[in-house]
Amino acid sequence: MDWFPLWNSLRIAAISGVLVFFTGILCAYYIARLPRVVKGILDVILTLPLVLPPTVCGWFLLMIFGLRHPVGQLLQQIGVRFVMTWYGGVLAASVVAFPLMYRTARGAFESFDETLAWSGKTLGLSNTFIFWRIRMPACRQGILAGAVLAFARALGEYGATSMLIGFTPGRTATISTTVYQLWRTGDDAGALVWVLVNLAISAAVLLAVNLLERKNRQGRRAV
Amino acid sequence: MKSKAVSKLPGIMLALVLAMAVTACGQASSDGLPSGTPAAEPVELTVFAAASMTETLTEIAGMYKAVEPNVSIVFNFDSSGTLQRQIEEGAVCDLFISAAQKQMDALDASLSGKDNPKGQDYVEQGTRVNLLENKVALVVPEGNPKGITGFADLAEKLKAGGVLMAMGNSDVPVGQYTKKILASFGLDETELAKAGCITYGSNVKEVTTQVYEASVDCGVVYATDAFSAGLEVVDTATKEMCGQIIYPAAVLKTSRNREAAQAFLDYLKTDACMDVFEKAGFSPAE
Repeated sequence: MDWFPLWNSLRIAAISGVLVFFTGILCAYYIARLPRVVKGILDVILTLPLVLPPTVCGWFLLMIFGLRHPVGQLLQQIGVRFVMTWYGGVLAASVVAFPLMYRTARGAFESFDETLAWSGKTLGLSNTFIFWRIRMPACRQGILAGAVLAFARALGEYGATSMLIGFTPGRTATISTTVYQLWRTGDDAGALVWVLVNLAISAAVLLAVNLLERKNRQGRRAV
Repeated sequence: MKSKAVSKLPGIMLALVLAMAVTACGQASSDGLPSGTPAAEPVELTVFAAASMTETLTEIAGMYKAVEPNVSIVFNFDSSGTLQRQIEEGAVCDLFISAAQKQMDALDASLSGKDNPKGQDYVEQGTRVNLLENKVALVVPEGNPKGITGFADLAEKLKAGGVLMAMGNSDVPVGQYTKKILASFGLDETELAKAGCITYGSNVKEVTTQVYEASVDCGVVYATDAFSAGLEVVDTATKEMCGQIIYPAAVLKTSRNREAAQAFLDYLKTDACMDVFEKAGFSPAE
């Protein structure tokens, strides 16, 4: 049995998870500070991939990064190609997973008690220190939830991924596209194996979150 | 099945009554008795057809409005393998047009055994005909970035690696033809797939789009798809490479309007329709 789809799905989910973690937090932090109108507009744009069907995201990505289109051609000239490559999978998964991280992080930041940050300032702490050592720990639950949701969404991405990178065995095949292809070709037994693999990963991720949450609760009670 | 038909009955009756009320047809009585003019009854035909027939059949459905104003046609276009599965899973379908004999054979009780191992009985016997013939074409994106000149040239380039070819998967008829073509050049599809030279589409339109978007270096689709997408055809497969590609059509036993389905099938064989088919790259089946 060829385990490539597992490896490919994990690397796509892991890399896009990390990308989305940092960009989501940064956007959530800075956008929360913008004037109301600008904030509203950006909020809609950045959250759209969450409510749009993944095929619509895939279509937009193809119209931007496809090799018939200016951006895609430009990138091709410098040797970067998002169609039919696994980096394209990272791109697709990141776009689709981003809103989950962004929304949950913003929710967490908005419920953060700003007096804590101001107190830090009166003590002469730097903004960076306040962000990483005060704000982030206080918001860790929301941020953790967002990160897990984003990772899980990236792992399960199908629509945009299949449109942008197709199904090339050994190159772009992911767990979700493999399940679909095996089902399409009538190989239900083969599909079942990958379904079980996917269930196992998802269950492990959810279990890890529950454990972390319990630890958090216990930690808080001790304080 | 039965309950589905029953649950749709009130809707059909309502549509009937409304149609009669609107046209104020003197002959029709609102109690639902047959009025003696069959043309007054609106009929909805569900046609399951291979994805490669999307444009032609849509055009023909428009033409059919003038011939049979009371018949409206609803299409379900997909790969023939998917359509076959949907029929097996109980989808209501009046007329099935497959892009290969295999899917039709699997639903034809007269072929129980080898071609129809499950002995499934969906095809209305006596209605099955060979409707059209199509060709398998090798297409390249605009500008032909890898300079592929034909199937023989492609075979060399695949052996050397560094070419990405899009083809239908083993469930899609055009994928099965592609596999035969590769075999006729002594190439093993599994080996090529392992080398990362093949990307699989789950229907022929997906392969067409991947070539059109230049996501791949070449693809194997039907001549008709190449025609409708305006793609450059560098070669067509001969009978020796992959055999003939015949599109069979048949009325199905699940049909609730067998006469109307048969009438539409007969219409498809008229010169007017064949003109439409031939303009799109099909030829009449011998």
